[in-house]
Amino acid sequence: MTDHADSTLPLDGIRVAEITVVWAGPHVTQVLGEWGADVIRVEPVNQIQPYSRGGERVMSRDMGMRAAESGTILSAYPDFEPGEDPWNRSPAFNAHARNKRSMACDVMSPEGREAFLRLIEHVDVLVENNVPVTIERAGLTYDVLREVNPRLIMLRMPAYGLDGPYKNYRGFGTHVEGMIGHHWLRSYPDGSPEETGEAFTADALAGVMGAFSVTAALMERGTSGEGQQIEMPLAEAFLPVLGEWILDYTMNGRVAQPQGNLHRSHAPHGVYPAQGEDRWIAIDVGSDEEFAALCAVLGAQVLLADERFATGVGRHEHSKALDAALADYTREWVNDDLFHRLQAEGVCAGAVHDERDLLASPQLAERGFFEEIDMPGVGTHRYPGIMTKWEHTPNAIRLPPPRLGEHNEAIYLDLLGYAREEYDALVAKGLVGDTYPESLVPRTWMQPAP
Amino acid sequence: MAQLFDGIRVVELARHVAGPFAGKLLADYGADVLKVEPPEGDPSRHEGPFKDDLPDRETSALFLHLNTNKRSVTLNPEAPEGRALLRRLLDSADIVIEDFRPGQMADWGLGYDTLAEANPAVVMASISPFGQTGPWRDYRGSELTLQALGGPLHLNGSAHRYPIKSGGYVAHYHAGVAAAYGAILARFRVVRGGRGDHIDQAVYEAQAGFRDRRTVYTTATSYTGKVGRRQPPGSRPAMGARPAGDGYVNIFAGGTKHFMATLDLIGRSDLKEHPDATKPLQSYSPEFAEQVEGSWAAWLVQRTKREAIAETQAIGLLGGAILTTQDLVEDPHYRQRGVWDTVDHPATGPVEYPGRPVILSRTPRQPARRAPLLGEHNAEVYCGLGCSEADIERLRAEAVI
Repeated sequence: MTDHADSTLPLDGIRVAEITVVWAGPHVTQVLGEWGADVIRVEPVNQIQPYSRGGERVMSRDMGMRAAESGTILSAYPDFEPGEDPWNRSPAFNAHARNKRSMACDVMSPEGREAFLRLIEHVDVLVENNVPVTIERAGLTYDVLREVNPRLIMLRMPAYGLDGPYKNYRGFGTHVEGMIGHHWLRSYPDGSPEETGEAFTADALAGVMGAFSVTAALMERGTSGEGQQIEMPLAEAFLPVLGEWILDYTMNGRVAQPQGNLHRSHAPHGVYPAQGEDRWIAIDVGSDEEFAALCAVLGAQVLLADERFATGVGRHEHSKALDAALADYTREWVNDDLFHRLQAEGVCAGAVHDERDLLASPQLAERGFFEEIDMPGVGTHRYPGIMTKWEHTPNAIRLPPPRLGEHNEAIYLDLLGYAREEYDALVAKGLVGDTYPESLVPRTWMQPAP
Repeated sequence: MAQLFDGIRVVELARHVAGPFAGKLLADYGADVLKVEPPEGDPSRHEGPFKDDLPDRETSALFLHLNTNKRSVTLNPEAPEGRALLRRLLDSADIVIEDFRPGQMADWGLGYDTLAEANPAVVMASISPFGQTGPWRDYRGSELTLQALGGPLHLNGSAHRYPIKSGGYVAHYHAGVAAAYGAILARFRVVRGGRGDHIDQAVYEAQAGFRDRRTVYTTATSYTGKVGRRQPPGSRPAMGARPAGDGYVNIFAGGTKHFMATLDLIGRSDLKEHPDATKPLQSYSPEFAEQVEGSWAAWLVQRTKREAIAETQAIGLLGGAILTTQDLVEDPHYRQRGVWDTVDHPATGPVEYPGRPVILSRTPRQPARRAPLLGEHNAEVYCGLGCSEADIERLRAEAVI
């Protein structure tokens, strides 16, 4: 064994500021923070950032429970209880905000701008994912900020780019999915894109891609001594993911059709019903040996003997009939039982796991993926942990998600050197604080439906 | 001109999508990536889609796209002489990307600990379905099954139908970026005076940490004990995917803060006086919901998808057109921004590829070099290791390379 005394986290000593909203921007700083960066979330307290802390839409306990009964838990507070401070209780926010500190600051106000520019002197990285015109109006573009700190690396994550016809088009991840061809591609082969449902795949990709490019620019800065701007539109960061489908068009003129669970050559390749309501198993067969093993486990010798299914080409050609026949066997099984049984026989299969199943995964338990965090005022809950393991560098969540404005004093007084009186003046003006004015909190959403 | 990864040497012992995408991200931004392929080539060479649908290991779109800017050598690591050559290649690497079954590299005497003894700065990124440890370590995994187990697959699609996967190989692309991130983080620690490490990237764990709903919903389940479910299509009035004149759009209008402007836009200003008009979407009466939905749907189909988006963007609505690959490649926005690279290749001629994922202001990416032919750099690389032409001929005859 080699000696591994050095298990310092790689971004130890790197400081990151973020003025991000919604999903993708905060994910970049999440994964930077997980590997050691000190992340400071700059957020206003004199207005509510929509879809960021969950404060724009306060749901009563009853409404939350009704939504959950219909399968929507995106905004579910702990025990469905919004409490006095719902913006500290949002799963969408608390899922990413570990290891971050919260600094109340409205960069659009003169006082906030001054504080923000002082902060920029003390950070290595700034991450933002606003509509480009917002940053332009705020006068916080890279050419302005590099004058304050030439070593700054600024990651800008517009939806579609800092120029071009769609520059200021607004949308969530689910809308960008359409504009990059993903919504169409992942739809049912025999259905309408109306049935496909929402996804935020590009947000997930961009989060890791952004952290990768920021770290690369930090490494390069070690040589050149200079920062730079990284422009990473959500849409463009995702385009490589559809590379082979795009080349099929540019090389062959073929327009990809909706794929659902189809595979280019494998069959059976699909999601099959199992015992119970909305329980499923995914099976992916790429060889004759696997097909024989699958039929043996299912007791489906009749399928093995069927000439249509004798070869990979035949199975692919007749996959609809094969899928229908297999479903009659799989629905007799508990999905996890069939999953382990098929794996034991060398068949590539996986149960379709909902969130509860994932939280109970023995594989993730053994690897310590989920971590318990005690967030003051919110309680102790299990959260998804860090998606990558390093053999010789132990790592865990270091700080719970920050309550709104939780670190104001540490940042204004200790880091930025504000005098107590200056700080108190910002508080008196409502620019710094740890809550939103009640007048802004839309508790009308709490009224029950008729 | 300087690029991000100038001077970094990478050996890629990885196949198909995840590892090669990690290698591509490093290669496209300046690293010297040597791809070590088995004698028959990376399986992605055999998958397609192929130029004119004629199977050819040099024209598979999946391979061509994922292997730009790399060099290729062939080598059989099962042969002792192949392993000896591989060891010499690995000893000169800063970063090694591999995706063999957990434990395979160590069985060949090429595990991380062995390499790190010779070179403590080496970074090895190992990509596997379920990780290097744990009870499922030796289970088989594919794009479909790993999305099913780890990702938000159960939420995709309609409540009335079976769940559907996300498109293409997105879980493997995502794990590839995560592995590249891990490798560059570790390399950054090395250049700051620290040590390398062994990065263990499971596709399954990347899916469990996927911020496409998975981490958010899992946190919500942790908070409430409830799980998410697929929704019925069209359940939200004037919100979500709908037909337009020439395809589909996905726009959020109903119940939003721009709903009054929406009613003006679609010629239903009369509905602004309705008592439900200011209510949240869930509180619309069936009669109001029907009027809104009917007028909205009728307005949309009288426009092309891009017209519908342009007009609704103008009043502040969130939305997007549902584009096909043809729409995407021909779209004026992406064209104007120059996202497509034209890459020439002896077997395909010039073809447009997706270009950069990020644009750097000071160290811009250089134009892409085409993917290598199978073993194209054997002579160059093995001569560099001191092999003579006769040695190379013999290794080829013995199927080592």
